[in-house]
Amino acid sequence: MRRNLFVGSTLAGLLVVFGVATTVLQNKANAQGKGAVQAPRFEVDPMWPKPLPNGWYLGQTIGVAVDAQDHVWIIHRSDSLDAVEAAADEQTGTCCKKAPPIMEFDQQGNLLRHWGGKDGDGFQWPASNHGLQIDGKGNIWIGGNGGANDGHILKFTQDGKFLLQSGIKKQGLGPDSNAMDRFYMVAKVSIDNKNNEGFVADGYGNKRVAVIDLDTGKIKRYWGAYGNKPDDAAAAAAPRYTPGSTPSQQFRGPVHCAEPSNDGLIYVCDRTSDRLQVFTRDGKFQKEIFVEPESLGDGSTWDVAFSKDAQQKYLYLADGRNQKLHIYDRQSLTELTNFGEGGHYPGQFYSMHSIAVDSKGNLYTTETYQGRRVQKFVYKGLAPVTKKVQGTVWPAATR
Amino acid sequence: MKRAFPGACAVVLLLTASGIAQSPPAYRVVPLWPQPLPNHWVLGSVTGVTVDAQDHIWVTHRGADSLEGNEKGMMATPPTSVLCCTAAPFVLEFDANGKLLSNFGGPGQGYQWPQSPGSLAVDAKGNVWVTGSGLEPAPPGGRGRATGANADPDAVPPAGGRGRGDAAARGDAAAGARGADAAAAGRGRGRGPAAPAGPPDAHVLKFARDGKFLLQIGTPGKMEGPDSQTTLNRPAAVAVDAAANEVYVADSGNHRIVVFDSETGAYKRHWGAFGEKPTAAGGGPYDPNAAPARQFRDVTCVELSKDGMVYVCDRTSNRIQVFQKDGKFVKEGIVSKNTMGATVSGQFGVVSSWGSAWDIALSNDPQQQFVFVADGHDKKVIVLRRDTLAEVGGFGTGGRLPGQFLAVGSIATDSRGNVYTGEQHHGKRVQKWVAAGR
Repeated sequence: MRRNLFVGSTLAGLLVVFGVATTVLQNKANAQGKGAVQAPRFEVDPMWPKPLPNGWYLGQTIGVAVDAQDHVWIIHRSDSLDAVEAAADEQTGTCCKKAPPIMEFDQQGNLLRHWGGKDGDGFQWPASNHGLQIDGKGNIWIGGNGGANDGHILKFTQDGKFLLQSGIKKQGLGPDSNAMDRFYMVAKVSIDNKNNEGFVADGYGNKRVAVIDLDTGKIKRYWGAYGNKPDDAAAAAAPRYTPGSTPSQQFRGPVHCAEPSNDGLIYVCDRTSDRLQVFTRDGKFQKEIFVEPESLGDGSTWDVAFSKDAQQKYLYLADGRNQKLHIYDRQSLTELTNFGEGGHYPGQFYSMHSIAVDSKGNLYTTETYQGRRVQKFVYKGLAPVTKKVQGTVWPAATR
Repeated sequence: MKRAFPGACAVVLLLTASGIAQSPPAYRVVPLWPQPLPNHWVLGSVTGVTVDAQDHIWVTHRGADSLEGNEKGMMATPPTSVLCCTAAPFVLEFDANGKLLSNFGGPGQGYQWPQSPGSLAVDAKGNVWVTGSGLEPAPPGGRGRATGANADPDAVPPAGGRGRGDAAARGDAAAGARGADAAAAGRGRGRGPAAPAGPPDAHVLKFARDGKFLLQIGTPGKMEGPDSQTTLNRPAAVAVDAAANEVYVADSGNHRIVVFDSETGAYKRHWGAFGEKPTAAGGGPYDPNAAPARQFRDVTCVELSKDGMVYVCDRTSNRIQVFQKDGKFVKEGIVSKNTMGATVSGQFGVVSSWGSAWDIALSNDPQQQFVFVADGHDKKVIVLRRDTLAEVGGFGTGGRLPGQFLAVGSIATDSRGNVYTGEQHHGKRVQKWVAAGR
C-alpha cells in the first residue's frame, strides 16, 4: 500500500515527481534513439478532483473546458440523477443531492464556483444541457440537446451572469438545418478567438456545423458533411451506418464536435458515422478519417482536443463507444497510440464524452451515462510508443 | 434527513469519559486496486465480497445481465464494439495486491447457476458458497417491500428526474429520432433486463475453489415458504461454521435464518426475527416511527463472530439482530433509522435500493470490537461498536470517484485489518480500504 501513498501527497510533491519523471522520460527517449515514434504519454491522477461538498453527486457529465487560469469547468445533467443517487433530495436517505450543473475546479481539484440549472431573466435553461466551452474573454458557452425543446445556445460570465441567448427553446421544435435564427439540439460551441467566431456542433437534431459571431450569437454561415448543403430529409432517409458502406453525404450525427485548430482547420465529429471530417473555416471539405469503423450504436467520434504545443502536433479523440482516447498525428491523421479501457476504476471509462487540455498539457475527461465523473490524466511528456494499445494508464510507480 | 449527529457525539464522549472508548481507525481508499482486469472484462453489479483464510478476496457479480449496452459492446449481435467490453466471469479471486488469480462461474453439470448471484462465502476448507438471490424486484409474496406504493417496478414518478438515467430518453443514445435503431443495433438490446431464462432463484451452491460443483441446497422456482426444510426463497447470503459443519443461510424471501449441514445439505433448524417463528408475510413496509417489526423484512446478511454469535442484517428494517447459534435472540441495533429507499428503472432493468443494513463485516482484532455496516442507500460504511451496536464512525460518501459509493452492498475484512467493499447497481466496483496511517 506504500506505493499509493505518493498519490495522495502534496502538490509540491507531485510537482517534484512530475518534473523528475519528465526529465527521466526525456532522457530515456533520447537514449532510445531517433526514429522511434513519439507520442504524448499520460497517467491518471486517481484522486482528482476532491470529493464534492454538500453531499453533491454528479450526473451524466457531458462537457469540460479549461480556462485561462487553468481552472477546469464541467457541465453535467443534474436531472439525470435518479431517486437512488439523489436520495437526500428525495428525503429517503442521508446521501446524496443533485449538484448544480456547472462547476469550476482549481488545479488541486477543489470546487470553486458552481451554478446553473434554472431559467433566468431573458433566457431559458436547456431541457438537457450539453457541452461547455470558454471564450477568450472567459465567458461560458453551453448548448442543449433536449429533444423537441432545445433550439438555442447560451453565454454566461464565469459567475453565471446571463449574457446572451441565440436561438429559442420551444416545445415541438424539429430539425431545420438551414435555419439562420435557431439551432436544434446543440452538442457544443467551440471557440475561435482570433476571428471572434463560435463553431456550433448542431448537433443532435440538425445535421450541420453553424458558425456564429461571438458577440451577437448570430449565424454567419453553415455547412453539412463534405461541405454540402444540409438536407434534413436526405439525412433522415440515409441508412444507418454499417462498416464499409458508402459514406453518407449528410452528417448522420450527432454532430458532436466542431473544433477549430490554430492553423484554421475545423475538426468535426460525425459520431454515429464513426468519422472525423476536416474543413477550412469557410466549410471547404479537406479530408476525413474513420475511427474504429466497426463501431455501431453511439459511434466512435465523440470529442476532439489538441496538444498544447503551438503547432498542435497531436490530436486527441474521445471514443466513448470503445472507451479509448486515441492519439493522432494531427497533420497526417495517423493514429499513434491509444489508452483507456472499459470500467469504473481510475483511468477506465464508461462512455467518455468530452475532453479538454490545460496549459501544462494535462488532459481532462468526462463520462456520460453511468460513468458520471471527471478524471484528470497527467501529461508525462513525449515518449516513444512501445504499445499502440496501452490499456489502463496507471501511474508508473504502481505498474 | 435529520441525522442524530448530536446523539452520536454524545455517545462518543460518553465512551471516552468512561475509558472504554475504542474509536475505530479512520480508513482511506486504495484507489488503484484491484489491478485492471484482462480480456476487456468488466464487472457488473457486485453483489458479494468475501476474504478467505489466505487473505484472498473473492468477488461475485451479476455479469452481463447488469451491464448496459455500451458496457458490453463485444457481447452484442452483431458486436457494437470489437474493443470493449465483455462481462467478467461471475466469480473472481484476487490476492491482496489486487492481482486476479482465478475465476469461474456460469452454468454447469449438476446445478443451476443463479439468475443473479447474491453473496458469497469461502469456508475454512476453501470451498466457495454462492447464493442465488434473484432478480429485482422481489416476486409478489416475497420481500416485504413489494407492496404499497413501490409495488410497481415500472412506476416512474413524474418529478425529480427519476428514471432519467436512461440515456435514450435524453437524446444521447443516437442522433435525433434514431434511438430505436440504436437499441436494435445492439446498444441497448431492448429496454428490459436481459433476464436469464429459467425459474427464479431459490438456492445455494457450493463449489470447490477451482469451481468444481459440490452441493446445491434448494431448487430454483421451488419456494414452499418459511417452514420448509428443503426449499429456500431468494437466499441472500451464507456463513459457514466449520467446527460444526453447519451453513447458515440468510433466506431473505422466507424472512428467516435457516441452518443446514454444510456437507450434506440436511436441514438443521431455522428462526425468524427475535428468534420467533417466521411468517410468509414478513415484516411488511417499514415505518421508522412504528414499533420494531416482529418479523424480518429482508434478511440480507449472516455472519458468525469468533465468540459464537450470529449477526443478521434485516436490511429494510435498518437493523442488525444478534442471536446465539441455536437461534435465541440476544439483541438488536438500529442503523440509520430514518433511511427508506427508492426503486428506479434503468437501462438494465429495475434497481431497488432500500434500507441501511445491506451487509456487515466484523473487525479482525481478537475481540472483534467493531461491526462494519454497508449502508447501500446512504452510500457509506457505518462502524458500530460490537458490544453496544452504537454508531462510532464511518467512511465513504456518494459518488463515482475512488472512495465514493453507489449502492455499497457487500463488505469484508481481512486478517490485516483491511476492508473491502462491493457496489451494486451502477457502482460495479470492489474497493479496498486501509486504516489511515498504515
